[in-house]
Amino acid sequence: MILNDATIKEITTRMERYPSRKSAILPALTYAYRQVGHLDAPVYKELSKIIDIPYVEIAEAASFYTMFPKKEVGRYLIQVCHNISCSLRGADNMLIYMQEKLGIKMGETTPDNLFTLISVECLGGCSAAPMMQVNQTFYEDLTREKIDKILADLSAEAEKDGK
Amino acid sequence: MSDNGKEQITLTIDGREVTVDKGTTVLEAARSIGIDIPYFCWHPKLDSVGACRMCLVAIEKFPKPVVSCATDVMPGMVVRTDTDEIVKARRGVLEFLLLNHPLDCPTCDKGGECDLQDNVFSNGIDTSRQTFLRNRVIDEETKTTFDDKRIGPEIIRNMNRCVTCFKCVRFNKEIAGEFDLGVYQRGSSTVIDTPPGEPIDNLYSGNVVEICPVGALTNTDWRYKVRVWKTKQADSISSYDADGQNIKLYYDHRLIHRAMSRPNDDVDEGWICNIARYGYQYINSLDRITKPLIKKEGQQVEATWDEAIKLIAKRFKEIKDKKGSVCIAGLTGGNLSTETNYLFNKFFRHNLHSNSVDYRLENIDLKDGVETAAYNCLSAAPFKIADLEKADTILIFASNFIKDHPIVNLRLRKAHRKNGARVYTANPVVTKSADISVDELIYQPDTEAAFLIALIHAVIDHKLYKNIDESKAAEIKTVLKPASLSEAAGICGIDEARITELARALAAGENLYILAGEYLKASQHRHTIANGLFNLANLLGVDDDKAAILATHANSIGADRVGLRPNLSASLAETLASKWEAELPDSSGCSTSQIFKGALGEEIDSIFIMGANPAMRYPDGPFVNAALDKLDFLVVADLFETATTAKADVVLPLAGWSEQSGSYVNLEGRYQPFSKALPSKQGVKTGIEIIRSLAEAMEAPLGLDDKTLETETKEVVDSWKREPRAVDTFYDVKQSGVIDHGDFPYRLLIGNDLHHYGYLSEHCPSLMRFTSDVYLEMSPNLAEKLKIADGDLVRVESSTGKLVLKVRFSEYFEGEVLFIPNNFSSVEVNHLVSREGGGWVKIEKLDDK
Amino acid sequence: MEKVLFKYVEEPQQYLIDNYIKNGGYQALPKVLKDFTPDELIEEVKKSGVRGRGGAGFPAGLKWSFVPKTDVKPKYLCCNADESEPGTCKDRVLMECDPHMVIEGCIIAAFAIQAHHAFIYIRGEFAYPAFRMEEAVNEAYGKGYLGKNILGSGFDLDMIVHTGGGAYICGEETALLSSLEGDRGMSRIRPPFPAIEGLYSCPTVVNNVETLASIPHIINRGVDWYRTYGTEKSAGSKIFSLSGNVNRPGNYEVELGTPLSYVINELGGGIQTGHKLKAIIPGGSSTPLLMPDQIDTPLDYEAVAEAGSMLGSGAIIVIDERACMVWVAMKLINFYQHESCGKCTPCREGTLWLKRLINRIEHGEGKKGDIELILDICENIMGRTICPLGDAAVMPTESIIKHFRDEFEYHIEHKKCKVKTDYAFE
Repeated sequence: MILNDATIKEITTRMERYPSRKSAILPALTYAYRQVGHLDAPVYKELSKIIDIPYVEIAEAASFYTMFPKKEVGRYLIQVCHNISCSLRGADNMLIYMQEKLGIKMGETTPDNLFTLISVECLGGCSAAPMMQVNQTFYEDLTREKIDKILADLSAEAEKDGK
Repeated sequence: MSDNGKEQITLTIDGREVTVDKGTTVLEAARSIGIDIPYFCWHPKLDSVGACRMCLVAIEKFPKPVVSCATDVMPGMVVRTDTDEIVKARRGVLEFLLLNHPLDCPTCDKGGECDLQDNVFSNGIDTSRQTFLRNRVIDEETKTTFDDKRIGPEIIRNMNRCVTCFKCVRFNKEIAGEFDLGVYQRGSSTVIDTPPGEPIDNLYSGNVVEICPVGALTNTDWRYKVRVWKTKQADSISSYDADGQNIKLYYDHRLIHRAMSRPNDDVDEGWICNIARYGYQYINSLDRITKPLIKKEGQQVEATWDEAIKLIAKRFKEIKDKKGSVCIAGLTGGNLSTETNYLFNKFFRHNLHSNSVDYRLENIDLKDGVETAAYNCLSAAPFKIADLEKADTILIFASNFIKDHPIVNLRLRKAHRKNGARVYTANPVVTKSADISVDELIYQPDTEAAFLIALIHAVIDHKLYKNIDESKAAEIKTVLKPASLSEAAGICGIDEARITELARALAAGENLYILAGEYLKASQHRHTIANGLFNLANLLGVDDDKAAILATHANSIGADRVGLRPNLSASLAETLASKWEAELPDSSGCSTSQIFKGALGEEIDSIFIMGANPAMRYPDGPFVNAALDKLDFLVVADLFETATTAKADVVLPLAGWSEQSGSYVNLEGRYQPFSKALPSKQGVKTGIEIIRSLAEAMEAPLGLDDKTLETETKEVVDSWKREPRAVDTFYDVKQSGVIDHGDFPYRLLIGNDLHHYGYLSEHCPSLMRFTSDVYLEMSPNLAEKLKIADGDLVRVESSTGKLVLKVRFSEYFEGEVLFIPNNFSSVEVNHLVSREGGGWVKIEKLDDK
Repeated sequence: MEKVLFKYVEEPQQYLIDNYIKNGGYQALPKVLKDFTPDELIEEVKKSGVRGRGGAGFPAGLKWSFVPKTDVKPKYLCCNADESEPGTCKDRVLMECDPHMVIEGCIIAAFAIQAHHAFIYIRGEFAYPAFRMEEAVNEAYGKGYLGKNILGSGFDLDMIVHTGGGAYICGEETALLSSLEGDRGMSRIRPPFPAIEGLYSCPTVVNNVETLASIPHIINRGVDWYRTYGTEKSAGSKIFSLSGNVNRPGNYEVELGTPLSYVINELGGGIQTGHKLKAIIPGGSSTPLLMPDQIDTPLDYEAVAEAGSMLGSGAIIVIDERACMVWVAMKLINFYQHESCGKCTPCREGTLWLKRLINRIEHGEGKKGDIELILDICENIMGRTICPLGDAAVMPTESIIKHFRDEFEYHIEHKKCKVKTDYAFE
């Protein structure tokens, strides 16, 4: 089993609240993603058993939504908004800066498996552009200085956790 | 109001007035007056999704064009399908669809019958403004665009050709209730595929190829074989199950190339199962017998037709002269045409004066008692497939419905989907109907009677019966053994409360169906079970056409209607006598099991078997093989060498169903003619030709030319009558005591694999791609108990035989029941079962060595 | 004006139920349960003139009234918090700062349509707002505002905070319902409309967060008070998300009818210092441009429409002279192409083609005739799709070409930008 008891509990508890258990697919994918860090076929199979919904329905739904990485990513998934409001505030140059800073290209993961950098569509932080999301957290009104600090803090956090 | 009681609506389409039922879509209304609105994603039997946008029309007072496939007609609507705006919209859609379409029509198997090709042609699009590479998606890792991908045993997907109409996935989920195909990704990256790592191999999967409007889904069966415009088509009927699937055979001068559906709303609604679709392939097989064989000094050697027929005529005459005609028996297989059965019957009864004919080749001896009126009555119930969709409550009893009745199964699903029917199933195994069942009851093997008795007790105890009074109810209770609900429930191993719940649900049904099938028919207690079913139907006031034991083979009913059985109803006997202008023989005839018994004794000396393989299929291998071996003279006509032909003194090469015209009568009693698709393979003869030449050789020609034979057969079929179920009659029902099977603790069921039916389907390469070999199916739970893994080799042993087989796990098995398919000639499965030992076995895991 | 929705937005911990109550919250709900029948409530909301704040501007009371009262099927309320239209970030603030206001609005709306299940569909990326909402919902259960027999009224309501998975299309109401049912978030054809056959094929109302948040205020202070804000046809106040090249981007609540210039110049502190206004997207990225000379357009549904655009979700994106408009068009079409659900042909294929064409122009590979081709493709998408996403992709594209055709032509002819986009990141 990939999913741990806590995740399964979260899923089953939630499932009971919906008039139809199929509605629990999206929350289940979210919980699974938060535990595993990405989603793939073995996870869908387990979810299919937990929710008692055909495997294909889970796989179909998961593939539709872009928020869940479908293969392994670094400890910190950095998603930088490249949509219009952020771009008008320098998001394109910010992406260049981040690639230089992390020493990787878009879509890549740092060799220490700490950071994966991707750019995404609007995240709803338009009035605080440019912005990015690292795992579940939003960072807004970004500047070079702020990014330096965020990355340093995250690295330190990872180090503290023994990675 | 129209004749069908529906409200009528009148509207105008392209200036023409049309009146249709309320609830009709604009697209269908247009089609009804010959205005063809182009479409890709619409299908008359699927819910409209309005995805392709090809069927846009302009409707007055509507602000923008609407999809006609999902817009219901309204009174006074003024619709135009030909405005400049609509023409531009259609051309726009086609241009969009062509953007990344590979335009590989010359090598595409859909060429010539492609909706995209047709629509592009009829809308006059001959240039392209598209200047990019034609690809939808480039895989970042492989740097390739979509290519052909085999997604199942038969199906190949080419995503570049796909117009994303979703029909395949919609069919699969909506109609078939199968979940082996899905839609992935989104936007222009949308992909149709199977769930990761799994194939599409459901029984109905061939339909997704057929309804694909383009060549995105093709199958091995048809790929690169022939261009469609070089084929001819013949209307036909599937030669396997009794549902009567309407098909169309595509053939050229050499071969049949494919079978497609031939929509018949009364029967199949245009959906056919893979067996109907790919099952024609045995006709093309190179393994067919093409020369008669005669046994000389223990060896079968090739002979001419003339030699063979003369020999049979001579030997039949000798036997008849020596011991009388009753010593000759005739058996026909389930897919012979009604006409063949009729002539066969006439040959035996009229020419040979023998009543020992039967078509019920898999009927095992009755354990207790004789044939009952209940069994015969329910087996001939005037059940109508199309009516099932209006049911609100359905009990499927003793039938693995998808296997026994693939098409009625779809109607069952439709009743559930469209009418919210509450479905209950009661079987010895879990079936594929589980997902639509309110409750799926699993009874202990061989306790069908106990289950019904328990149910009847529940009905009576809770006063759920209709049309009778309390004293009558009390009286009915006395004919039941065991005499109480708890006792009966205990025997079948189902909780009393669940049985009571089922009784309540059935009693609450306003349009209730109770349908039974193979597990009942295969039982040695089938008549006593039928009594129970009969009582139950009467207690609950089920209509005559809604309680039935459904027929099995393509033409069992046809054979029955023309009297290919030892005992005839008085009216049928009279009809036949008058047609033949002769008395029918007054000797008593033997049924299948009596014929085999007779062969072992002194009563039967010779059997003529046409199109059947009892040595492999009869559910008592040791018995039937001993019987056939003991015969003085065995004649077998068949398409292939089989375990049965191997024992024959004369083997005759038989033509297949598609090599002649004829008719089948399906389980509803629906007479369905089929036409000839190809001349007979060289060297083979049709059953009719064989019987005729035999009669001539015996100097008693049957005197029926093809036309007369057809007419006379039809007349006999039509003259068939049945007394409605006697609603105030109740029969004795008792469950025999549970026998201790000692060293053989597991119940073995044998029957058809999901993708095979009978013994001919193993000559169909496409079906072999789904299942190519025999296996032992068991529940993972039992396997765990026995420490057996999926794929392990085990020895299966009964009191009569043993076999070594590979284990296959199945989620459809619960408890200690096992299954082996009996469709493969490589293994004599029927040697494991017998009338005496039933089907009880033990299993033992073999060492890895 | 006095702030309505944003009155306590700066208050620390307004998200806690006690603070919300202290500041006058949960007063409308008891009033509704005590004094109103569902019909009277719908009538009241109709009279208030409040219109859908998600983008379409459909009168909320009217929408509620479409739910068949005699239908025995369960009814559902969905709060649309899938805020995804580029430029829009207002609902997030309401959920983060004043979640109980949204919840109270939901309960009242659910009572109006007699729904016993309410769902708050929050876009998946909004982990924090979803957390705040979830906490708030739990608090509301604790105080008896949710659950069985709310405040002794006999009315039951279950509320579920449901998060999405990253799909703009799920903000479209039918796609939202598909997604909520556990399906792929693909839009559905209408009819049937959600009010008749929505979630689980039952009557359903889908309302935007901001719309629902307005309801308690209307109940508390009355229709007449509410209508003192805004115009005759566009009543009340509205939150505008101001982003792009202004000095003080942010979310601002003003009454409808306030001139755009006021929001940009007074509230937003004007165009970024040293730069010049080039164009304004007034209602979220799918709306046509307004030009600098239209800066005084009043921000109400009618006036913005008259000016050739739409008020939409109220996301004002200000573009200054540093932007190449081909680049802007590219950013937008790339977004819509990425978010097309793929169900209907014109949107699925058309947006891909537009994306390829606009990107090629931007990258200096444009061909003569591309502009005409783009416009014709737009025509073949507009009004031909199942849901408004197709139109959303087309409207800004057509509008940008209409106003800045010269930049496209220059691009094609000179294989480079007329204006080289240059937004520094420091």
